[in-house]
Amino acid sequence: MGERITIDPITRIEGHLKIEVEVENGKVKNAWSSGTMARGFEALLLGKDPRDASYVTSRFCGVCFSVHQMASVRALDAAFNAQVPWGGTLLRNLVMGAEYIYDHLVHFYHLSALDYIDIMAIANYTGKDPELNKVKDKVVGLVQRGDTFPLTPRYKPDEFSIKDPDVVISAVKHYLDALKMQIKAKNMGVIFGGRAPHYQSIVVGGFTQYPDINQVARFRSMLDELATFVNEVYIPDVVAFGTGPLLSLAKAGIGGGHPNYLSYGSFELNEAGDKLVFKPGVVVGLKGTESVKVQPFKQEKITESVRYSWYEKSTPKHPYEGSQVFYLERPGAYSFVKAPRYEKTPMEVGPLARGVVDQDLTLFGLIKDYGIKPGAVARHAARAIETKKVVDAMYHWCDELTAAMTKPDFKIHDTVNWNPPSEGEGAGFFEPPRGALGHWIRIKDLKIANYQAVVPSTWNASPRDERGVRGQYEESLIGVPVPDPENPTNVVRVIRSFDPCLACAVHLIDPKTNEIRKFMIE
Amino acid sequence: MIKSFSGLSRRDFLKFCAGTAAALGLSDVFTAEMVAEALEAAAKKPPLIWLEGQDCAGCTISLISVENPTPASLILDKLSIRYHETIMAASGHMAEKARENTIKEGGYVLVVEGSIPSADDRFCMVGGNPFREIVKETAEKAAAIIGVGACAAFGGIPRGTPSKGVPLSKVLPGKTIINLPTCPVHMDHLVGTVVYFLVTHKAPPLDKLGRPLMYFGMLVHDNCRRRGHFDEDEFLTDWNDPKQRDWCLLGKGCKGPETYSDCPIRRWNSGINFCIDAGAPCQGCSEPGFYEEHSPLYAMGPITDRILAKKAAGLIPRKENT
Repeated sequence: MGERITIDPITRIEGHLKIEVEVENGKVKNAWSSGTMARGFEALLLGKDPRDASYVTSRFCGVCFSVHQMASVRALDAAFNAQVPWGGTLLRNLVMGAEYIYDHLVHFYHLSALDYIDIMAIANYTGKDPELNKVKDKVVGLVQRGDTFPLTPRYKPDEFSIKDPDVVISAVKHYLDALKMQIKAKNMGVIFGGRAPHYQSIVVGGFTQYPDINQVARFRSMLDELATFVNEVYIPDVVAFGTGPLLSLAKAGIGGGHPNYLSYGSFELNEAGDKLVFKPGVVVGLKGTESVKVQPFKQEKITESVRYSWYEKSTPKHPYEGSQVFYLERPGAYSFVKAPRYEKTPMEVGPLARGVVDQDLTLFGLIKDYGIKPGAVARHAARAIETKKVVDAMYHWCDELTAAMTKPDFKIHDTVNWNPPSEGEGAGFFEPPRGALGHWIRIKDLKIANYQAVVPSTWNASPRDERGVRGQYEESLIGVPVPDPENPTNVVRVIRSFDPCLACAVHLIDPKTNEIRKFMIE
Repeated sequence: MIKSFSGLSRRDFLKFCAGTAAALGLSDVFTAEMVAEALEAAAKKPPLIWLEGQDCAGCTISLISVENPTPASLILDKLSIRYHETIMAASGHMAEKARENTIKEGGYVLVVEGSIPSADDRFCMVGGNPFREIVKETAEKAAAIIGVGACAAFGGIPRGTPSKGVPLSKVLPGKTIINLPTCPVHMDHLVGTVVYFLVTHKAPPLDKLGRPLMYFGMLVHDNCRRRGHFDEDEFLTDWNDPKQRDWCLLGKGCKGPETYSDCPIRRWNSGINFCIDAGAPCQGCSEPGFYEEHSPLYAMGPITDRILAKKAAGLIPRKENT
């Protein structure tokens, strides 16, 4: 029996996550991932006007804000039989593109980078660059005043920590620059989105902000600035980190996990909707970048297990059938997160999954050229590479929107199908920054009769399933080196590489009133 | 006189303070010199603990959306953020230790984001402890307590869930709590309230719901750009019609006539836009009834019916052009 280490809370993520690992001979032998907060949005939605769902579920998460709005309106579009005009789709895609840029920048620079650099190495910078010296003065000033919060306390830098003062100081400079850029990305989205976080203008049937040409021009000029930062700072930083100081971590595939990848596909490039930025598909048992076999994605193959979750006992069910009741005393359960599986198989979702399913040439080139294996570093690389794909698509959407606006029948909303149907059901899929997201709705008597969401972090952060197979966070930790149990730096590196977002991973439904209380008292 | 602050000249620093005061809606209350003095006097940066309960971190994202002062200067120069799960470098025990040490020191600003579950403590556990206990323990020696967002201020969306989220006031009876509702918290409301506290060491004047009057003293409706169309009974029915682009959104479920907030004047995200200007109805996210009593969000319901009835009875006088 190895030494058990608990890290609770895992910080610099969204939500409340506890990770427990068992370490033997300096390596992780076993792992448990627990979501430790629940609200129960789906139960709240029962009996409500279906149009409320997109607004309410947006509040699943404020970091990856509005992604649930997108999945939700797509489920509603299907249930209402609404035909979203091309103008509405373009506006939705543009604001979600802005969300992508903000989200990926924040994840790399503000949530993850501190795991890889020894920030105090800045004091040793001897270069003459005036901008970098300002950064040095700032950090040294904090140290001298004896107040380096929130940069400290921290885990002790280890063998993988970057200590070269030139590299560290430019990384910290980019951390500060990226703080400004993430605001710019949000502000760009707000031109059409109304406000951020939580856009206001995405509704069933389309969009509420009727655009004018000045707004498009303003959007485009902000996009220019962000594109420059993505292409000239973000991508070079990630590539330089991954193929330089972190190459040994990358080649070892630290944090790899199950080699199974799922993408629902997203972001229409044409009105017919048959050309997408991210393709849908499933890859099981990836072995290198040659001859990757991509299967078509079929939503009927998704089931959710609650064997190790704090819910009433139930066999694995498709989300349409999902009707779980909290059971906090359940023996053996250790998480509020359920365990979704695709054909009974655990899947990774997110940027790496999208890159694998798309067989992205840039990502696969990087993997081949440097002998990188899927893992924590590859996830960061995939995230940076796909940001550029989204940026490029956004220019295309701006052009398409400008052209569409000149047409006399320009439309942003399906007004005919705005009112809820008396009965209906629909599934909505979207690929948010963190990966495959699905919402399912059933409508009866004009109201919500059932609502379920299977979210990216449910896939990645899931506990074990019926067969005892670990979820992807858990599996990815097996074998990770932990030479010093006081400083389990590699554990948090691996977990953060997924960009955890736990608030939305936790959800439940309570079809019977007062049931909850009964279970509580037991 | 301290010559500089974070390497700025005195003149630049005063300019910065004037800009900050103006951006945060404090220029009627304080002069640039007052803000400058307060920030300089805080030679040791004021410590801040930010707790997240049943939250979505949207309010945290709002915090890092403030352009003046910039997030970098907020995080590194203005405040000593001792504990903030989404921002801090430390994890696990190390993070919890930082919170405990700050509590021992006392005199910190406590910001709480998210509600507290009342159905069962196990709905929100951090570091193995019930969030309720963490809030109580951390509030004990706080110099000021701010509830950010609809959840911490009034229970918000989690109030109607099986976990039965409750606001700070229910967990900390008898304490003065500054409530900054809206979903998420408005970035200017938050930073402005913190600056107000640093200058005066007091809470700003509050309404009976604990909201600062300087931000929540007026109805959305009274400053709405679409008000004239409300008075003329011009209600938007089709978002595709350019003619209706600026018409009143009441028919789409707007709660502006019963919502207190300065959104239409301040707007959001550096003034770029806000809900109503984006064609989206105000959902009344600064009011205690949000969300459940405000449903249906996008259709006429009890609230909008009441507004129309008041209008018909002449209880909502026309706003004449001035």
